Amino acid sequence: MKRKLSDSGLENDQSLASTPKRQRKTLGQTNGARNGHASNPPVTNGDASYELPRGQSTPKKANGVTATSLKESGLKTPTHKSKARSLFATPTKPKSVAAATPTRAKNADRSAKKKSARVLFEQDEDGAWDGSERLAEEILQDDDAEAEKLGEPVTDSIEAGAEQPLAKDTKAPKRRAGRPKGARNKRSPTPEGELPAHERYFFQNRAGPVKTSNMTLNKVPLLTHEEYFEKLRQYVDPCRDEKEYLLALHHRSFPQWSFEFDEGFNICLFGYGSKRKLVQQFADWVYTYRGVSSTPPAIVIVNGYTPGISIRSIFATIATAVLGDELPAKLGSQPTEVLELLQSALKTRPAHEEPVTVLINSVDAPPLRRAANQALLARLAATPRVRLLMTADTPNFPLMWDISVRDQFNLVCHDSTTFSPFAVETDVVEEVHALLGRKGRRIGGKEGVGFVLKSLPENARNLYRLLLTELVSVMDDGHQSDEEAPADGTGGKSPDEVGIEFRLLYQKATEEFIASSEMMFRTLLKEFHDHQMITSRLDASGMEVLGVPLSRDEMEGVLEDLVLG
Amino acid sequence: MEIDGFDAEVLESSRDKSQSQGVYIYQPTQQGKGAGERPSKRRKVASTDASEEPKNHQSFAPLLNGDENAECVQLRYDIYKQLWSVQKQKIKGILEDVDAGVLMDVLSFVRNTSPQTYDPILAKEPETSALVTVGSNVSSLSRLLSRLNDQLAATGDGGVVVLESGDAPNLKTTLKNIIRAAVTNTEGNDGYQKFLTDRAGPRLLGYDLDLLHDYVQRKGTKKLVLALRDSEAFDPGLLTDLLSLLRSWLDRIPFTVLLGISTSVELFEGRLPRSCASLLQGRHFEVQEAGNCVDRIYEALQADLTGRLWLGRNITSTLFERSSDFFQSPEAFSRMVKYAYMSHFFANPLAVLLANPASTMLPQLRICEAIRNLPSFRMFCEDLVQAGFSKEVRGLLEDDQYLLQQTSKHLDTNQQKMRRLFQVVLVIHACLQHTQSSKKTSVSDLSIRALSGELGESPIVEEMLATMKTLDSEKLMCLLNSLPRALFNDAHFSAIQHDIQTLLQTYPDSGPLRSEYNTNSSVVKTTVVQQRVRLSKGKAKLPEQDLEYTKIIDRLVAILQEYFAEILVNPQDLFLHELFLFDLRNPLKETFAPRPRFAIERALASPFDYLFSSFDVTEGKISAKQPATAILYQLYLESGALVNVHDLWQAFYAVFESDQGDSCDERVVMTLFYGALSELKAFGVVKNSRKKTDHLAKSAWMGL
Repeated sequence: MKRKLSDSGLENDQSLASTPKRQRKTLGQTNGARNGHASNPPVTNGDASYELPRGQSTPKKANGVTATSLKESGLKTPTHKSKARSLFATPTKPKSVAAATPTRAKNADRSAKKKSARVLFEQDEDGAWDGSERLAEEILQDDDAEAEKLGEPVTDSIEAGAEQPLAKDTKAPKRRAGRPKGARNKRSPTPEGELPAHERYFFQNRAGPVKTSNMTLNKVPLLTHEEYFEKLRQYVDPCRDEKEYLLALHHRSFPQWSFEFDEGFNICLFGYGSKRKLVQQFADWVYTYRGVSSTPPAIVIVNGYTPGISIRSIFATIATAVLGDELPAKLGSQPTEVLELLQSALKTRPAHEEPVTVLINSVDAPPLRRAANQALLARLAATPRVRLLMTADTPNFPLMWDISVRDQFNLVCHDSTTFSPFAVETDVVEEVHALLGRKGRRIGGKEGVGFVLKSLPENARNLYRLLLTELVSVMDDGHQSDEEAPADGTGGKSPDEVGIEFRLLYQKATEEFIASSEMMFRTLLKEFHDHQMITSRLDASGMEVLGVPLSRDEMEGVLEDLVLG
Repeated sequence: MEIDGFDAEVLESSRDKSQSQGVYIYQPTQQGKGAGERPSKRRKVASTDASEEPKNHQSFAPLLNGDENAECVQLRYDIYKQLWSVQKQKIKGILEDVDAGVLMDVLSFVRNTSPQTYDPILAKEPETSALVTVGSNVSSLSRLLSRLNDQLAATGDGGVVVLESGDAPNLKTTLKNIIRAAVTNTEGNDGYQKFLTDRAGPRLLGYDLDLLHDYVQRKGTKKLVLALRDSEAFDPGLLTDLLSLLRSWLDRIPFTVLLGISTSVELFEGRLPRSCASLLQGRHFEVQEAGNCVDRIYEALQADLTGRLWLGRNITSTLFERSSDFFQSPEAFSRMVKYAYMSHFFANPLAVLLANPASTMLPQLRICEAIRNLPSFRMFCEDLVQAGFSKEVRGLLEDDQYLLQQTSKHLDTNQQKMRRLFQVVLVIHACLQHTQSSKKTSVSDLSIRALSGELGESPIVEEMLATMKTLDSEKLMCLLNSLPRALFNDAHFSAIQHDIQTLLQTYPDSGPLRSEYNTNSSVVKTTVVQQRVRLSKGKAKLPEQDLEYTKIIDRLVAILQEYFAEILVNPQDLFLHELFLFDLRNPLKETFAPRPRFAIERALASPFDYLFSSFDVTEGKISAKQPATAILYQLYLESGALVNVHDLWQAFYAVFESDQGDSCDERVVMTLFYGALSELKAFGVVKNSRKKTDHLAKSAWMGL
């Protein structure tokens, strides 16, 4: 991948100058190959008419196959492939030869050779199975010199052509026919044509080694929170008008939703995009629409994505909205108590009073996702004179509800795809870094830790140095045994996994006179905890294991600063 | 009402604080921020004028491009209310009827078991618990319980305390919930507070059963039913504690425990420790399954003699699909029907005609235009032209007044046709009860066929008529008697019945008459022809009366055939069927069985399905014009089960680079990449992979 990338840059620069040249060269080679092995030239005439259209059509096909949208990036270079095809048109010739001297075994051999050669050369596009590749190699290996001659220039013109056209001639004789190392990695994960969903699944999950490149994000500077928001402000959404229009379309449904509310249904909005703005507008609409002649309706808005949100607080707020000043001073600590208070309060309200409208954003967000919470919400929804509108963002949200909960919710669902980004709902930078196993970004990575350490007393710095030393040595040990770790060793396994036992660290700390008592040790650790400089978890045996949310590079950097500073 | 873009932005900024708040009371943004008026204050002001008459708001939006006048809108709403309230009443009646059996049983059980029957000397256990197996009919138990509560409360005997597994995290909370629920059931919330505080002696804690004892004594409660709705979900240990505790209080508090069980009694018992299971001395009640109930509801809704609106075959099949495949409760079923009614009147401007409005009220121009655009109107006109009534067609097309007049006339006759259609369905259903031996076809099946116009030629009916021919006179009389009375207004039918009766009277001794089609009256002859046995059926010689009877039967079948052929038309061919037949599958199906995953996948894989785009969209091509998440998702679709983030990022960037050239800011693109990646993570389609550094694992495949 890397090679190709660097090459593509080069190619873009001089593509005009270089490609025709190469083409000529390869043409010459084709002729040479032909002349070299074709014992009876007269037949070529007959074949040429057959071959020509094939030669023309194959590049087209290759184009069709490889014309992914990535073409511009230079990840794929279709020109080479089409060349390879037209080059490889030669092996068809023996067919005519064979026709002249028909021995069955030879015939079979030839066709096997032909097939295997095709398999080897087409592996890029077709993503052939490993088995066929190996077989193809074997067949070609015990081939005679003729095939060697045939195979060699062709492979080289593809592979070397892709790599470095100049060094081709010197390298060519050394390489055996077949694919060069790493060529297998280039098998495209995108299957040919339109596969049905299940076929695609099996295609993408087939057995075999992982066929992705070894590039990591180490060289790419990741975003900080500040930079993220700063850059986001610069971005102009090309679909802004369309999204506005989409929102306006949903707007038209407001009377319908209100009617559904009137008829005792609750509403669930789903589809891609943040629906917070839509909900807010609906609240505005309900307020203005209802508020003309009668009491203003009580509307409670819940942001389900808020980390610390509790069901009890939701119920309590609704109760406040309904009861106003009549709210009893003590609500009770259990959510059910508050709910029952609310229910009985609603029962005693005069009939003409407006029902209370509860709008819940992201009801399927992690804080509310638990089954117990959903069951409580369902009971709220089933309460007469409570209207519940909720939005769900994830694709599989109906799985949260079992049959009785669903029955209580009494939902009508509407697709309200908005395409708005989930700006408020998710902490984007945090989430992405968690996904990439770089949690420590939150405190500003290496710099942040260093900054905090500077403000801490000597003892704490020593403890952190000790912790890092231990972790790094654990990681080193781990590498020797861990097969899966990449050879470059920069990434290592996820830093989350590496940890040191609490007891062990305490022991070492006392040995180095950093902490004299466990109490003191814990105080020091707490400081780290507060700054999110360490992580702690319980391992399988129930031991507390301490870790540092930094990548190995960063750990080493911090350690260096600590030792030198 | 529309908030334009500018306003929305202003609102957005003012709401910054509300984004991070977990839950808050909505404050209208129209008022200045400085006002800071509490909702409670507003409420106070409002409560002074809250006594004015309940406002008459319009739930419906004007249709016909907004040209529909207010009267029509109101009329549509009223006719909806009117029609639905009738249907609702019917459904309620059926549900009550279905529950009645179990309710009576349970009620009498509750009434008759009393702790007084507990005999300490004989140590005979009183039956204090009822096990109610609910099966899939989940909602029936709550129905049952609320009615039980009403019954008990009405007679002053006591009440029902419903407990769910969520209410019972531990024993203390459970007891507290029981006591509070029992007291608030009759006294209300304030009553409970008063009850807690206003008492002599030391203050008791909320979970002290002495409180409940006190309450029972004060109220003279004879029965306190404790119902555990989802018994299986309770912690067995807790259940044991609770039951043994209740058991020890049984001499002071008259508990009866009602356990709702969705699986089976054996399974439930198996989960409990033996000590606990032995505490449960009780009886077992079974609630009827939902399916039966649903069929009855459907029949009542559709085959009503005064019906004005019917559900089409698509909706019917959707409804039954759902209730059979998804364990739908009868309530959910009726809610779907309700939604179908709602959709019809909410969105069909012509539905107003069902109310038989005075033609002066209508915005004639638009209504007539709408009628003329109906597909069924065109069909009707074509038929008229073919039949040679081109003058009449001209009248329909040009004279609004005439059109309206004709419309209301045809609406009436066609509605009548629908009613008769369902009568025939009932007739066939009744006949089938006599002719089908094993598998009985339900009314809903027949209705679906009838509504698609296939019932007349269906094998069911043919088979039925064939079997009918073979029936003897006794069974036939039985069948004829079971047919709806309305049928016998027809002279032919009464004649046939009369004929059979006279025939029976003339030959009183011959036993049941048989027709010649009956297998008993045909003889099988065996002859040997060229050393092969040949079977040949021949008619046995029939007595006179049987031949008479055969004639009558032939007549009956002919009449029935004619009758079916006349009435079993395809409703979709009727003029104005758009008005009285609601048959759009979609709002119903999408609303009650949403496919959120499909929606999200579609939005991301082909965003321009949703975003109506002004620039030309090349099919299936990723471009920077698309939303970032959509781009990333499409790249993700192309990748294998393991995705290298770096390469993904490069590919993502390349999309923008190729589109924008040099003006493309890599960091801006990266922010988009971040946003898109975090969204994919939130959707649960990617997760971190431990196989390789900076790799993601794919966890969802589109279309699977």
